Amino acid sequence: MSKNKISGKAYLAELANNVPSNARRNFLKQGVKFSTGLVAAVASNEAISGNSTALDVPSWSKSLGSGVVSTPYGIPSKFEKNVIRRTVPWLTADKISSISMSPIQELKGIITPNGLVFERYHAGSPTVDPEQHRLMIHGLVDNPLMFTMDDLMRFPSESVIHFLECPANGGMEWRGPQMEALQFTHGMVSCCEWTGVRLSTLLDEVGLKSKAKWVLAEGADGAGMSRSIPLDKALDDALIVYAQNGEMLRPEQGYPVRLFNPGWEGNTSVKWLRRLEIGDKPWHHREETSKYTDLMPDGRARRFTYEQEANSVITSPCPENPWGSRGSYQIEGIAWSGRGKIKQVDISLDGGVSWRPTKLKGLVLSKALTRFSLPYSWDGAPALLQSRAIDETGYVQPTLSQLRKVRGTNTIYHKNSIHTWQLLSDGKVKNVQLK
Amino acid sequence: MYNSSKISIAITCAIALLFSAAALAGPKTSYGLGVTPTKEEIALWDIDVRPDGQGLPIGKGSAIEGEAMYEAKCASCHGSFGEGEGRWPPLAGGENTLKDDRPEKTVGSYWPYASTLWDYINRAMPFPAPKTLTVHEVYAITAYVLYLNDLIEDDYVLTQDNLAQVKMPNQDNFYADDRPDTHNTRCMNNCKKPKDIVIVQSLRGITPEQEEEQEQGAAKVEEKAKPTLSKNALAGEAPYKQSCFVCHGSGIADAPRTGDKNAWASRLKQGTPMLIKHAIEGYIGDAGVMPPKGGNMNLTDEQVTAAVHYMLEQN
Repeated sequence: MSKNKISGKAYLAELANNVPSNARRNFLKQGVKFSTGLVAAVASNEAISGNSTALDVPSWSKSLGSGVVSTPYGIPSKFEKNVIRRTVPWLTADKISSISMSPIQELKGIITPNGLVFERYHAGSPTVDPEQHRLMIHGLVDNPLMFTMDDLMRFPSESVIHFLECPANGGMEWRGPQMEALQFTHGMVSCCEWTGVRLSTLLDEVGLKSKAKWVLAEGADGAGMSRSIPLDKALDDALIVYAQNGEMLRPEQGYPVRLFNPGWEGNTSVKWLRRLEIGDKPWHHREETSKYTDLMPDGRARRFTYEQEANSVITSPCPENPWGSRGSYQIEGIAWSGRGKIKQVDISLDGGVSWRPTKLKGLVLSKALTRFSLPYSWDGAPALLQSRAIDETGYVQPTLSQLRKVRGTNTIYHKNSIHTWQLLSDGKVKNVQLK
Repeated sequence: MYNSSKISIAITCAIALLFSAAALAGPKTSYGLGVTPTKEEIALWDIDVRPDGQGLPIGKGSAIEGEAMYEAKCASCHGSFGEGEGRWPPLAGGENTLKDDRPEKTVGSYWPYASTLWDYINRAMPFPAPKTLTVHEVYAITAYVLYLNDLIEDDYVLTQDNLAQVKMPNQDNFYADDRPDTHNTRCMNNCKKPKDIVIVQSLRGITPEQEEEQEQGAAKVEEKAKPTLSKNALAGEAPYKQSCFVCHGSGIADAPRTGDKNAWASRLKQGTPMLIKHAIEGYIGDAGVMPPKGGNMNLTDEQVTAAVHYMLEQN
C-alpha cells in the first residue's frame, strides 16, 4: 500500500493544476491550514500525555449509578445527543408532508435503531389504534377478507433484514454538490429487521382470479397513500410487516402494519396499510404519476421505476467525521442494492484514477446495507475519496457523468452515482463533484 | 344448527373424497382467519379511481360550480389561478416546459390522466382536512382545475361517464422502467487522466445547522409554554394542529404566523370576537385569505374558537 502513497504537497500541487482558479485558491489556502493543523495536533498529543486528569478515578467510579427501570424504555447516553434525525427545512413546504434523514454518519453495523429510521410522510404520521385497525383485501379475488391485527399475527411470520430507501435520496445534488453533510446527501436510507407475514400467504387465503395482475396498496393516513404494485412482486418477496428490530413498528414506520417491498423505492412500502385491492391494470395514482416518475431530458418520463439500484458511500471520513492527526484509520462505508447482494466495493483515493478492493464486513445480505472497510495509514495527503459498489447481478455503480449523460438533471429520483469526498490536508472533508 | 353442520360435514367428506387426488397435489389448507366483508362494507372503503373511469361514483360538477369551492378550500395553498403559494404545488401552467432547464410539472403540463386528479382530491385534499369533500365538490373542483389548465370549458359538466374521455396533453409521454441505463465497468488502474479531473465545490450556506442544542432548546420552550395556556386554549391545540398549523405555522397565504407578535397585534386591533368570526366564516383581507374554518368544515365553531385562543396565547 505504501507504494501508492504520494506526499501531501506533491499531490496538492498536482491537483491544484487541475482545478479552476477559485477552487485553486481554496486549495492553496488549505495547504497553509495543513501546516498549522499539524502543529496543533502535535501540541494536543503532548497535552494529553502531560495531563493526569483523564487518569484520576472519576466520580462515577466512586458513587452509585441509577437503578433499574429508571428509564423503563431505555434512551441513549446523554453524550449521544447529536445522533438524531434531521431535516432540510427548505426542501418542502412544511413538516407534515416532508422527509427527515437518518444520521448514517454515526451508525455502526447495518441495523438502524428504530428511533433513527428516516421519516417520510405525505400527510403526517397518524395515530392508528391497533384495536380498530383492519386490513381489507378485495377486488379480483374469490373470497375477500378483512383482518384484525390479531388475525395477521396468527399467520406464520418471517423476519428479514432489508434496507429501506427513499428514491429521492441524493436527489438534491443532481445539479451540483449542495450539502456539507453525509446525513443530508445520503441519509434517506435505513436498514432494519422486519417481521411479518408474506403477502403471498394472504393472497392464497383470498384466492386470486385469473385476471389478477396488479395490487393497489392504500394507507390509513390522511393522504390515503396509494401505489400500484405488480402481482409478481406481491407473490415474490413482499411482506405485510408489523414489527421492526424486535418491537412493533414505530408510528413513523406505519404502526400497526405496513407493506414492505424489499429493494424497492420506499414509498411503495405503504405504511399504516389498510387496504389491498387486486386488479388487472395499474391505477396511475398521484404518487406514481405526478410524483415518483423520472423526467428525462427528452421531456418524456419513466414510470414505475421501483428498483433501487446499487449505491454506496463512505461514512468515515465524511464532513461530519473529519480526520484528526495522521496515522491509522479505517476508511469505512455502506453499500446496498435493490437487486440482491453486494458483491464488491472498491475505493479510490485519487478521484477515480485508480481503485483498490475493500473487505465486506459482517453480514452480507440481499437487499440490505452492507458494510465495507479499508485500513489506511494517512500521511496528511489530501485525497478525493470515492466508493464504487458492484452487486451480484454484475451492475457497477455509475459515475455522476454517466448518470447525467442518460438522465440529465431533472429526474429528481434514483441518483445512485459514485460520491466524492474531498479530504483536505487538515483532515476536514468537503462534499464535491468531479467533472 | 346441529343438523345442518352434520350435513355440511357429510358434504365436505364427499368433496374431499372426490378431490383427494387434487388435495394431495397441493391446495393449501386455509388458516380460517379474518372475516368476509359484505359488499356494502367493501364499497365504504373502495375509493380508488382508474384512468378508464372504474371506481368513479355517480355524480357531476362543473368549473363554474367549482370556482367558489376552490377559492375557499384550495386557493390558500395552490393560488387562485393554480400558480401555487410558496413551496406548495402549482396546479396549472408549465405547458411545453418539460425539456427546459427548469421544467414546471403541473396537472396540465405533466399529469397523464384526469382520473388521477379526481382520485387524489377525493382521498387526500384539502390538505388539512382530507376525505371531507362531497362527491359533487370533488367533481366540481376537478372540473375547475382542468378548466384552469384550459382542458375543458367552464360550463362543461364532468360526470362519471365523461371524465375518462378528458385526454391529458402529456398522457403518451410516459414509458416503462428500462433501467439499467448505465454500464459502468470495474476498471482498477489508469481509469482516467488525473489532469482531466475538475472539482466542483458546494454552494455555501445552504446546509442546515446541525447543532442539536438549538432544536432541543426550541422543544424545551414549547414544553414550558404549555402549562401557562388557558383551558380554552388547550382545547384548541388539537384542531390547531389539524387544520390551522399548515398556514399559520409557516405563514403561507400571508397567514399571521403563530408566535409572531407583530403580525397578530395588527389583527387584534379589531378585537378577539371579530378574529373568531373571521376564523369561522372566512375572510379576504388586503393581506391574505382566511378560508372558513381553515378549510375544515368538520370543525365545530367551538373548536375554531379554541384554536384561535391557542394561537393568541402563543404570542
